[in-house]
Amino acid sequence: MSTDSAADQQAAPATGRAARRSRDAERRIDRRSLLRPGDGPMIVFEGVVKRYGKDAVGLDGVSLSIDAGEFVFLVGASGSGKSTFIRLLNREMEPTEGRVIVGGRDLGRMRRSKVPYLRRGIGCVFQDFKLLPGRSVYDNIGYALEVTGDNPRSIRRKVPEILSLVGLSDKGERLPNELSGGEQQRVSIARAFVNHPRLLIADEPTGNLDPDTSIGIMQLLYRINRTGTTVIMATHDRDLVDKMQMRVIALERGKVVRDERQARYATVEP
Amino acid sequence: MRPGFFLREAWRSIRANAAISVAATVTVMIAVFILGAVIPSFLYVQSTVDKQKDRLDISVYISDSATNAQVQGLSDRLEQMKGEGLVKSYSYVSKDDALKELKGRLNNPDIIELLPSNPLPASFKVLPTDPERNPDIAARLQDSPALDRTLENGISYAKETSDRLLKILKVIQIAGVVLIGVLLVASVLLIGNTIRLSIFARRREVEVMRLVGATNWFIRWPFVIEGIICGVIGAAAAILLIWGAKIAVVDDFVRSNTDGSLTRDEATTIGFVWLGLILIVAGGLVGALGSGITLRRFLKV
Ligand SMILES: Nc1ncnc2c1ncn2[C@@H]1O[C@H](COP(=O)(O)OP(=O)(O)OP(=O)(O)O)[C@@H](O)[C@H]1O
Ligand SMILES: [Mg+2]
Repeated sequence: MSTDSAADQQAAPATGRAARRSRDAERRIDRRSLLRPGDGPMIVFEGVVKRYGKDAVGLDGVSLSIDAGEFVFLVGASGSGKSTFIRLLNREMEPTEGRVIVGGRDLGRMRRSKVPYLRRGIGCVFQDFKLLPGRSVYDNIGYALEVTGDNPRSIRRKVPEILSLVGLSDKGERLPNELSGGEQQRVSIARAFVNHPRLLIADEPTGNLDPDTSIGIMQLLYRINRTGTTVIMATHDRDLVDKMQMRVIALERGKVVRDERQARYATVEP
Repeated sequence: MRPGFFLREAWRSIRANAAISVAATVTVMIAVFILGAVIPSFLYVQSTVDKQKDRLDISVYISDSATNAQVQGLSDRLEQMKGEGLVKSYSYVSKDDALKELKGRLNNPDIIELLPSNPLPASFKVLPTDPERNPDIAARLQDSPALDRTLENGISYAKETSDRLLKILKVIQIAGVVLIGVLLVASVLLIGNTIRLSIFARRREVEVMRLVGATNWFIRWPFVIEGIICGVIGAAAAILLIWGAKIAVVDDFVRSNTDGSLTRDEATTIGFVWLGLILIVAGGLVGALGSGITLRRFLKV
């Protein structure tokens, strides 16, 4: 793989500014390579159970696999375990039983210190956006780049780019609480995608949005998927799912009750 | 790393918790102010005592009947102890010198003229390196045949005075160290508390930072810098206060001290610039330590 040969070239000890830059680039490659599915699937769940306390069950024995480059809808009633599924992917929490493998990495065996690098490789659009409250839209997105050690010049270039992609070019200086729900959602998507992750997970990114805005966001995610990014989207939006005809994984009380390609929100009952 | 970014983050945090940050800065200021008053006073006392210590010399009286060779023997022993570092210096005081000195100290010097002969012995004035070892020095001179044994068995030193002085010095040293230690620990805890509140106020934000892939230290640095900024600003304010106090009180006091009793012993203390530097560094360290300790406890992965 190209990343390995790049690591080999690092053998000679480098000094000076140029060398430091190349070492930074090296480190970035290293970080991205945390997700390295190779020819295997991007995501594998093996008998995953997640219990909250004694009787609350988030997921109840889920086994499935998602290939790199797929677009997957995760559907199910409220409380069926969609958010639980998503939170297991970036190790926001760990399963009670079973294994979660992302990009060829068993998250149960991943060292704590590696988790930040895992998360940089996964773009995440949270159900409640999780924007940093006191910071402008621009700084919110910039933060995701700062974390990776990206340099200021590249940040100044990338943030406006992604803002125009989500149609918020004129709102960069606003604070999150000065934005509508749909706008915050788009900031959240912009932040999730600004590092061009191999995997993008979105928890109800169209919740509470009017149909037109939903379609806009859907198109955005679809475009992101076409660049090769695996996209997993949890949603209640029946019309949207029906229109897209993508793989649908349906959850019910923590169990996978349906997993179909080019499917609709619900099974068609003729 | 990225100092500019972390500095901006720290400043943002300070502004967000302005009230708490000001409180911490003020406590550091008070602690550093006291520290800034204690250090020079402590050094002044120490230097005064050191100067006193220089007076804790030994007189070795030489018999009038001692031969030149015997006196030379005494002087050789002193020279040897000087080589060993036991004796700092020594000087010979002849009979005439002794008489002159006595004359100088008397209110009515003329009575000296009434003496038939000079009753004062010649002597060596021995300045020890460490007055606590005066007895050792005395022991090694004790058996010299040159000694005038009519006077305190030939060797005299202010045993009482030296013991008392040394004790006082030790007490002052310990008290100073304890006081400064307590103040520093208090400041560290107060800064730590500020950072704890700051972390608490931003715990949701910290959670989000983690979720977008910030490493532990990426999140921590701004808090550490926040602590250092509070410490350094507090120290700077304290230095201004101390400077004001110096001009308003100390300088005035020294000027009005016309009999020179304050500067009589040539006791010295630390210069203002050095003091300022030490205090600034102390403030920064206190801030870094306070936030560091807190981060270890409250901002684990
Ligand atoms: N932190 C928690 N503590 C206890 N129970 C929890 C916790 N998080 C989720 N649950 C429970 O786990 C189940 C699945 O929750 P989850 O958030 O995954 O549902 P969801 O499908 O995302 O629902 P929604 O569509 O409303 O977002 C629910 O019954 C919920 O009550
Ligand atoms: Mg949910």
